[in-house]
Amino acid sequence: MRVKKECVAMLLAGGQGTRLGVLTQKVAKPAVPFGGKYRIIDFTLSNTINSDIDTIGILTQYQPFELNQYIGNGQPWDFDRLEGGAFVLPPYQKAKSGEWYKGTANAIYQNIDFVDRYDADYVLILSGDHIYKMDYAKMLQHHIDKGAACTIAVLDVPIEAASRLGIMNADDEGKIYEFEEKPKHPKSTKASMGIYIFDWAKLKQYLIADEQDKSSHNDFGKNIIPNMLNAGEKMYTYDFSGYWKDVGTISSLWEANMDVLDPRSGINLDDPDWKIYARNTAEPPHYVGMNAKIRNSVVSEGCEVDGEVVNSVIFRGAVVEKGTVIHDSIIMPDAVIKSGAEIRHSIIGWNAVISEGAVIGETQKAPEGGEWKIAVIAPQAVISAGAKVAAGEMIQEEGR
Amino acid sequence: MNKKIVAILFASGNESKLNELTIHRTTASLPFAGRYRLIDFTLSSLVNSGVTRIGIITRNNYSSLMDHIRMGRDWDLNRKNSGIAVFPPFVLNTSREVYKGKIEALYTVLDYLKKAPEDYVCVSNCNIAANIDFDAILDEHIARGADCTMLCHKACVNSSKRVIITKDAEDRVTDLCAVEIPSDEERLISLNIYILRKDLLISRVEQAYARGYVDFEKDVLFKEVAGGKIFAHEHAGYAAIVDDVKTYYNESMRTLETGVREELFGTDRKVYTKVKDSVPTVYKDKAKVVNSFIADGCIINGTVENSIIFRKVRIEEGAVVRNSIIMEHGIVMKDGHISYAITDKQVVIGAGRQISGSETYPIVIVKNKIV
Repeated sequence: MRVKKECVAMLLAGGQGTRLGVLTQKVAKPAVPFGGKYRIIDFTLSNTINSDIDTIGILTQYQPFELNQYIGNGQPWDFDRLEGGAFVLPPYQKAKSGEWYKGTANAIYQNIDFVDRYDADYVLILSGDHIYKMDYAKMLQHHIDKGAACTIAVLDVPIEAASRLGIMNADDEGKIYEFEEKPKHPKSTKASMGIYIFDWAKLKQYLIADEQDKSSHNDFGKNIIPNMLNAGEKMYTYDFSGYWKDVGTISSLWEANMDVLDPRSGINLDDPDWKIYARNTAEPPHYVGMNAKIRNSVVSEGCEVDGEVVNSVIFRGAVVEKGTVIHDSIIMPDAVIKSGAEIRHSIIGWNAVISEGAVIGETQKAPEGGEWKIAVIAPQAVISAGAKVAAGEMIQEEGR
Repeated sequence: MNKKIVAILFASGNESKLNELTIHRTTASLPFAGRYRLIDFTLSSLVNSGVTRIGIITRNNYSSLMDHIRMGRDWDLNRKNSGIAVFPPFVLNTSREVYKGKIEALYTVLDYLKKAPEDYVCVSNCNIAANIDFDAILDEHIARGADCTMLCHKACVNSSKRVIITKDAEDRVTDLCAVEIPSDEERLISLNIYILRKDLLISRVEQAYARGYVDFEKDVLFKEVAGGKIFAHEHAGYAAIVDDVKTYYNESMRTLETGVREELFGTDRKVYTKVKDSVPTVYKDKAKVVNSFIADGCIINGTVENSIIFRKVRIEEGAVVRNSIIMEHGIVMKDGHISYAITDKQVVIGAGRQISGSETYPIVIVKNKIV
């Protein structure tokens, strides 16, 4: 068996994801539940293995325990290989020094030995907080065909959105001549998806040089990509079309879950050719009770549902008692919704308890240009009987 | 002493009475409770009790079982020094045919048993759905100084082929009798799960084999009763014995009872099965589902009542499923009606078709059939 791997993936899972508030108080953003039985990171991990890349380093420094436990030996994603597989790589103490990951580039810099161990020709840089399905093997082939030093996956976005994103300006061949972070007057609508393929030897040079520069943020977007462009390296875009969503905020997380319910959204999870894998928790099928009314919703294993559930995502192990009303909401794993509770436009964290008759969130009209006001109940929080939580409110674990 | 258990499971048994349901499979791999195969319950109980060396004796049609078990990883049985061993049918040189009964079957795995370091054996059929704590039973077995502990439960004699146990106040078995005629009377019925000292089992099997005996229960166990060292352990929770279409249907329907589900699944002793990575089930706008047990990966846009729906089933608009069991990949097309039926894997009920059995005689539709 050869140790050498043509391409090694490095997944940047270090971010705390503060904009997800109470949901990421105790877990890193990639470990946040999604779509009934998944976690956000499952999409990137599944894309990687489905693209025939069997070696992945997962760079994390914030609440690593949960992620470490979740990924384990990588078996649920078929990453339990004799050579290669999935490795959680937190920062570690080295002979001369030891420090936290200072930035995305520094995180890779600190793990140069890991990539070298597999004698990789190419390295694929990913982030663990997007929901999408993508064949990285095609992107790699594109990179090789173009003879590029770096290839950046881009998505065509509406011009209004372009000024909030990192925009790649490229010629007709896709050769990048300029990179603009959040431009006021965007020249193009090709937004970087934070997915890069580099020639490893080349990237290594730039990482080492960047580390010498004390003024650098040690960040791919701010430093490495501009430095490579300035030096005249061959950098190309790779056009991606299809469903892609950054779930970094409460309303985008809510919207992406609602997209699972909408066949027109383009995110088809039930695709036998591109399965999304997750660690299984050995729950029985879900039971639907005598009083249940479930419409336009997804319900996962281990649930007991006896209430009204409309336009909602019910995660594994959740209990929805008789007489409850749940509309346009996300009920995360093992949450308990007691009888008579009403939940609208809300996210209920895992293991939270909504007591009898509590009212969470309210019905809303589709906002014009703005975002939905989503009420969020922290994981493990207990909401007392009859309590009211307004639209858009966020409730801590101590509850009320 | 190595106070641990090695288990021997019989994958086959009663196939003749399960008719169409076991044409393509062993009883062990009969789908049950929405996402399981019957053997999952015994395997999970054993694993949750710390048993990691499990041998499975097969007789015929065992490819579905092999496909289900693979290396045993889904039960955490892919171990370096123990784990799962599937024994394909062993043809004895003397008889030139596949073994006839449990005694010959056990005889073929004596080497496996002798090599195992464990001092106790659990011998079990695979047609039981129950969540059993073997650890506690072994402690009890040792404390009593029993030769054999028979697991049993209180139930109506709803099928033939049951062994009825009579015991005294100290749970000592005083009589065993096989019934042929079902009745509604509630009795103490053997679950055909036994705990024995390994050396005792080996010597009894060798003796019985030498005399040409076939039936483990009648030729070995029944004769041991007189020695007074066979004890009964009554399983307090739910236990199903599945050995014909009627018991299969009735026990399946009982999983709709909250109490039964709690006793099977509601503890920290989880029931494991082959992981298939299905998506959660989708309920569309026209779905009306009540009192049903529904696995992952289904798409439901019709009416479902009092039914068990396995993984990846599709119920289309206007379709009605009542009091039925729809196995994996089943499809009930638009306006199809089905009641009191068991449809095997990949059965398609065409648009507008009506199929109806009765509570006492559910219709079975064979795997891959298109109605």
